[in-house]
Amino acid sequence: MNHCMSTHILTFLVFAPLFWGLLLLALPNRLALLTKYLAFIGSLGIFVIAALRLIPMLDSGSILFSERAPLFTLLNIPIDYHLSLDGLNIWLILLTTFLVPISIAGTWNSIKERPGSFFALFTILESCILGAFLANDLFLFYIFWEAMLIPMYFMIGVWGGAERKYAANKFIIFTLAGSLLWLVALLYLATQAGSFSPEIMAQTAMNLPFSKQCWLYLAFALAFAIKIPLFPLHTWLPDAHTEAPTAGSAILAGVLLKLGGYGFLRFAIPILPAAALHYAKPLAILAVVAIIYGALVAMVQQDIKKLVAYSSVSHMGFVMLGIASFTLIGTQGAMLQMLNHGISTGALFLLVGMVYDRAHTRMIVDFGGIASKMPIFTFFFIIVTLSSIGLPLTNGFIGEFLILNGTFVSGFTWGRVAAIVSVSGVLLGAIYMLWMVKRVFWGPENQEPKSGTAHLTSDLNIREIAVMTPLVILIFWMGLHHVTFTGASEEKINRMLDDIQAPPARTLLLNAPDQAQHGAQ
Amino acid sequence: MSLSPNETAAILPFAIPAIAACLIPIASLDRDHTSKKWIRVVIFCIALLALGFSFYYTVRLWESGLQPAYGYISMDRLAQFAAFFVFVSAAYTVLQLWDHLRQEDWVKGEILALLLFSSVGMLLFTATSNLILLFLALELFSIPLYVLTATVHARAKALEGGMKYFLTGAVASCCFLMGIVLLYGMTGSFDIKIIGFELAKNNSDPLVLLGAALLLMGFLFKVSAVPFHQWTPDTYEAAPHPIAGFMSVATKGVALIALIRVFASCIAQNANIGNRMQTAMIVLAVLTLVIGNFTALAQTNFKRMLAYSSISHAGYLLLGFIAGTNEAYQAILFYLCSYLLMNLGAFGVLSAFGLIGDNTHFRNIRGLGWKRPGIGIAATICFLSLMGIPPTAGFFGKYLLFKELILQGHISLAIIGVLASLVSVGYYLKPIMAMYMEPSQDNSEPVIAPMSGATVLVSGVLIILLGLLPGSLLSGLARPSIQEGLITAVDTVTVTIE
Repeated sequence: MNHCMSTHILTFLVFAPLFWGLLLLALPNRLALLTKYLAFIGSLGIFVIAALRLIPMLDSGSILFSERAPLFTLLNIPIDYHLSLDGLNIWLILLTTFLVPISIAGTWNSIKERPGSFFALFTILESCILGAFLANDLFLFYIFWEAMLIPMYFMIGVWGGAERKYAANKFIIFTLAGSLLWLVALLYLATQAGSFSPEIMAQTAMNLPFSKQCWLYLAFALAFAIKIPLFPLHTWLPDAHTEAPTAGSAILAGVLLKLGGYGFLRFAIPILPAAALHYAKPLAILAVVAIIYGALVAMVQQDIKKLVAYSSVSHMGFVMLGIASFTLIGTQGAMLQMLNHGISTGALFLLVGMVYDRAHTRMIVDFGGIASKMPIFTFFFIIVTLSSIGLPLTNGFIGEFLILNGTFVSGFTWGRVAAIVSVSGVLLGAIYMLWMVKRVFWGPENQEPKSGTAHLTSDLNIREIAVMTPLVILIFWMGLHHVTFTGASEEKINRMLDDIQAPPARTLLLNAPDQAQHGAQ
Repeated sequence: MSLSPNETAAILPFAIPAIAACLIPIASLDRDHTSKKWIRVVIFCIALLALGFSFYYTVRLWESGLQPAYGYISMDRLAQFAAFFVFVSAAYTVLQLWDHLRQEDWVKGEILALLLFSSVGMLLFTATSNLILLFLALELFSIPLYVLTATVHARAKALEGGMKYFLTGAVASCCFLMGIVLLYGMTGSFDIKIIGFELAKNNSDPLVLLGAALLLMGFLFKVSAVPFHQWTPDTYEAAPHPIAGFMSVATKGVALIALIRVFASCIAQNANIGNRMQTAMIVLAVLTLVIGNFTALAQTNFKRMLAYSSISHAGYLLLGFIAGTNEAYQAILFYLCSYLLMNLGAFGVLSAFGLIGDNTHFRNIRGLGWKRPGIGIAATICFLSLMGIPPTAGFFGKYLLFKELILQGHISLAIIGVLASLVSVGYYLKPIMAMYMEPSQDNSEPVIAPMSGATVLVSGVLIILLGLLPGSLLSGLARPSIQEGLITAVDTVTVTIE
């Protein structure tokens, strides 16, 4: 293997989109079409390179790449340029690089005004997201974490819907509220540890009094919970999702929210394990509330996009529950659920965008009987819906099953109750999705001349089919052979759980360790 | 009288702009000069050349490592840093005035002369350890600013603003002078190092405490910290845009640099007084952060918003004094550098978009980000930096201050600080929203203001550069300024005795 190249692949992944995006930003508005093509080709190229370089690493067991160089020392605290790729983030990296070209192709004609600038920002956003996923120095992570707000803010604020300014401001202020308080905790830990390296911070944190650890963990958790978003900090999400242009919603739901869950697994829990265990119960309760509440609110939505947005709250609640279970199955389920949600909700937003581009409305009442007018569209929508509901054979089922299983067998006393209550979330999920499908797709055609259905004159074109096909393939692949996606993170999570000394999983009803081993094979 | 090379070196950075300031009114004697472009070019060139030459001379001084002195004037590293700071701010202002005065149709050479005199005063303010000279320098840079504020009387509130600034400034000067008198009376010296030495020996007399407090008030007035801030918004609104930017950056900056000198080598030498002053500063910093930010949130006038935001930045800078370590002073200097770039960039937007008279509301810049993409992006970078979003210079300024604050155990203050910057996001987003997210009022072509536009662009680029390489500024400029420039009282007095 060419060693030199392999050590710089991470830097390439982070900064290639940035430079590409800056280049595209410099192109004038009249070259918008060229900019779009260049953005698509560039992001596709990055995905291909990432896939070619990273997928072979999946088999090699413990991985992977790491790049480290001192960046600068500010007032006695060194800051490292430290990127690393391991089982925890490899699939998230692939998901990000995959979703960007998909979103660009999926919303090719949706952006009417200044599409060039939009897609340039989109590429820059990809760079920030990849940087945050790969950063293994908390200062570096923080910089990417905050920097990604800027392109996202403009994407919502400039190209969004009617309430775009409100949504964009709410998005940025909510996220900053969490991350600024987290910065204080981070600086406290850094001044104690003399470093921003997570390993050194973890050692320092161990020696702090427990009450301090708890405060620090709460600050970490606040930042990540807002991003996930966990009830009751979720209110920015429906606005941002609904107002953002389709590609923005897809990447927001598909990738940005994952940073919250990833932050817990990568930083919050390993650095402050004792406090994480201490707060497992409240987080799990909030997660259960999010699951139920998100589903109930989704049920009454009039706007399809808003419905999908609230379903995100519910689905990301599952992720939080899986993380809070502190079992291997539950955490792996959470990892898988993050990927699932990225694929299926990303796909749902793209589909909603496709119908919106044709009908210029997203209200459920404006539709009815789409199925006969757009059979191909209906086909894709139903598959993605079923995946979102969690039908067996699709990815949604595996993720939710693993999480519920993990929660049920977890050593916590509340585990079983939480699992049982959360199951109703799956049920509610089926209700709101299928009810929406019934009203929008089935039944007689909406005959009103001004209705959305009347405007649907064309089914999906080749481009849109080409966008949806890989997503559908992934939905089934993940449903049928989830080990491809969970195998990489198993070792890492196992080690993390060993360090935490979480209560051992019960083995009464389901033989949890066996199953996990079975999963790994 | 002949000067030794060392003495010449010490006063040359003052002399060059002062001589140029005397030349400019001669060049603009012609009463009809507004119509003659070449005269305008000449006077602006004189001003820029003088600033550039002084800047270059100070760079040479810095590189040689000399810290020359002449009498009570000492161009040590801290003063050299201040010289960079003042000359760059003044050059920014001159460039922006080039466009702004033409837009206001009021080109007079005197304005540049006053600006240069003010710069000399500012530099002197930071380069002396004698309290009498400090007071003279304070007046030397303040009085031209009072005049400059009222200078464009086409603006309705110009005279009112100038008068307000003058009256409140006079009160502050009185406080400052009274503080000097009390300190002199109690210690028998005007030299801050000797005063510091005396203070370190004695327990605090209430009169000394009063003197120190009055002196501090004088400084805080210039820094525009709450509750000495009321003059700020009106004065800034009345002043020509570049002058407002100059006041917000240079006045605040030199007041803080001089305060570092006085505080570290004099007031803080007595633990008791130092602690009391620190307590007072905690209260004032919190008040400044809260009031500055929340009042800024309520503004619809872009320029007034910038005025209130500059008050809130005084709050962050005061946090550095509360930490009070050498590292914290370095953080203050770093913050000042970033503040210079981002705030002069932000004020430059006003002239770059050609907002004249009182038309400085957010609605006046609607849609201009798309019409002038370069300035729009650079201005956005300035605002993001003012918010403190990485990877900009403003983020690192806040980061360093908060880090030192936390290291000294003031965690609650750090939390207040970050929450204040969260509030600041609310109003710094307003100009960004206006520039990009609101449709423009008309289809007229935006004003072309080449010099102001260039200053904004340079700011944007430098902010990003500084955000990518913060370490070089810190170790190259801020650390030597503090470590070599700031000699505390005990050191020098010991040396003198030996």
